[in-house]
Amino acid sequence: MSQPSLAPFILKRPWLTRWMKPLASWYSDAAGYRKLGLRADDLIPEESEAVLLALKRLPPKDAYDRVFRMRRAFQCSLAHQLLPKEEQTKPEEDIPYLSPIIKEIEAEIKEREDLEAMKVFRPATAPAKKASPTMYH
Amino acid sequence: MLSRSSVCRGAQRALRRQCPHPVQRRGLAAPASGSFQYQTGDAKGVKFASRDLAGPTTTLALVSKAGTRYQLLPGLTEGLEKFAFKSTERRSALRIVRESELLGAELTSYHSRENLVIGAKFLRDDLPYFVELLSEVATSTKYAPHVYHEEVLPLIKMTEKKLLANTKEIALNSAHSLAFHRGLGTPVIPAFSAPYTQYLDADTIEHFSEFAYAKPNFAIVANGAEHEDLSKWVNEFFEGAHSQPPKDILEASGEKQTKYYGGEERIAHGSGNSMVLAFPGSSSFTGGFYKPEIAVLASLLGGQSNIKWSSGFSLLAKAAAGPGTTVETKSAIYSDAGLLYIAINGTASNVAAAAFEAVKTLHSIAGGKISKEDIKKAKAAAKFKELEYGEDVKAGLELTGSGLVHGRKAYQIDETAKSIDSVTDEKIKAAAKTLLESKACVSSVGDLFLLPYAEDLGLKV
Repeated sequence: MSQPSLAPFILKRPWLTRWMKPLASWYSDAAGYRKLGLRADDLIPEESEAVLLALKRLPPKDAYDRVFRMRRAFQCSLAHQLLPKEEQTKPEEDIPYLSPIIKEIEAEIKEREDLEAMKVFRPATAPAKKASPTMYH
Repeated sequence: MLSRSSVCRGAQRALRRQCPHPVQRRGLAAPASGSFQYQTGDAKGVKFASRDLAGPTTTLALVSKAGTRYQLLPGLTEGLEKFAFKSTERRSALRIVRESELLGAELTSYHSRENLVIGAKFLRDDLPYFVELLSEVATSTKYAPHVYHEEVLPLIKMTEKKLLANTKEIALNSAHSLAFHRGLGTPVIPAFSAPYTQYLDADTIEHFSEFAYAKPNFAIVANGAEHEDLSKWVNEFFEGAHSQPPKDILEASGEKQTKYYGGEERIAHGSGNSMVLAFPGSSSFTGGFYKPEIAVLASLLGGQSNIKWSSGFSLLAKAAAGPGTTVETKSAIYSDAGLLYIAINGTASNVAAAAFEAVKTLHSIAGGKISKEDIKKAKAAAKFKELEYGEDVKAGLELTGSGLVHGRKAYQIDETAKSIDSVTDEKIKAAAKTLLESKACVSSVGDLFLLPYAEDLGLKV
């Protein structure tokens, strides 16, 4: 799921954000998925452990809506039609509902890997010192 | 005093030591140092108790008044227990486990009918880390729906399955529900696949946690920690706890004096035979209805052996009608009520025979046909059990915490032991008589064709 992205770099700089925003809006609109009633997060490839788990963790309502959007889009695609204007996804509706969960899962996986690779050592300076919660990391 | 043929020399010596010996008398019941006494304190509304047992390890526990008795919906306590040490706002569950592993500690959580206990055993020096950990569990656990579905629910299902074939537990739960209906009668672990998970989800558990971890509802108890240290760290870390439990739970759970009902229940079961005969018992020492004679009566009836490869000398041990049949008498004590129960387990015909024998024994106690010697033995055994139980760190922690939370005092084993000394033969006789006169709870689980009804046993239900 995590591919290289310029977004964090741009978002850190307000002036650049202001400059890029119209371009980004134009791009996501031109990508066409909104015209089929989809959201950007519907396009994330499902074929990875993390995404599969994230899909399981979706609240029931979100999971239902996601399936609905996909079936509608599939139907539109078969019929070679776009949705009527009022049913298309509006830019303010196009919110990330899945990627926060994926990020959380990736953080969990990374934490586990880090802990597996951790080297434990006792601080040499004060061996008899009382343990503090942070001393092993 | 006793003929050698009836009692071995060791028992004679034990009995002799019971005789008043003002000079030598300094058993566990009257420690000179006072190290068995818990010191109690209050840190901005959080009650805590500690006793500084010499040794390199500490046992710390958070005892919360959130056992199955206080749960509003079935399964809440179970869910809350399983949520302990899961991800908090500050660190993940994995990190908690790894860190405590590195410190060489052991984390536990369990619940009883009245209390939820979340505890840790660790090396003495690590006290601040674990006080902080407990405060984190209490105040900032994340009750995430996915944690509930992925980790908590499977664990609940597992504990449920564990008891599915345990007829003794089923009979005990049934006897409790006959005796107390709701409240104390709620099963500790739902033994059947009752549709109780429909009431459970992360949100309801979180709401219940606000009740369980509100300052008036829990206490911190430590064994093997310096009182000043504990006081300092509890003051520092437990500030964030809710000062009052949510109103709606408080109103719904409202402190009601437990009422005893009694009755009979018969459950057909294929995997064993158990009977529980239960009678109204004694509340805990810190509760209002403490009757030391019930503890003595329980050990007089007994049934369980203290010696390997022997059925033991207690009255009911002789009644167990064959090998593989176990009889056990216990006085289950709760904060405001208690249950004296005889649990019989074994083949159906033996269980039935032992049940008849048990009632007959109760009648003979009530009729005063029991020798003084037996009563003396029972008192010694009851006192020993009490002291040993209080000394047992795990049990002591829960009793002390629950005593503190219920607003009275910490559990002091010395005083309970003293009150057992004061029990007379007459009192035991009277207690047995009242038991037989009051309504009993009889629950039979197993082959119902062979297991007798309460009516057959001559018990009122």
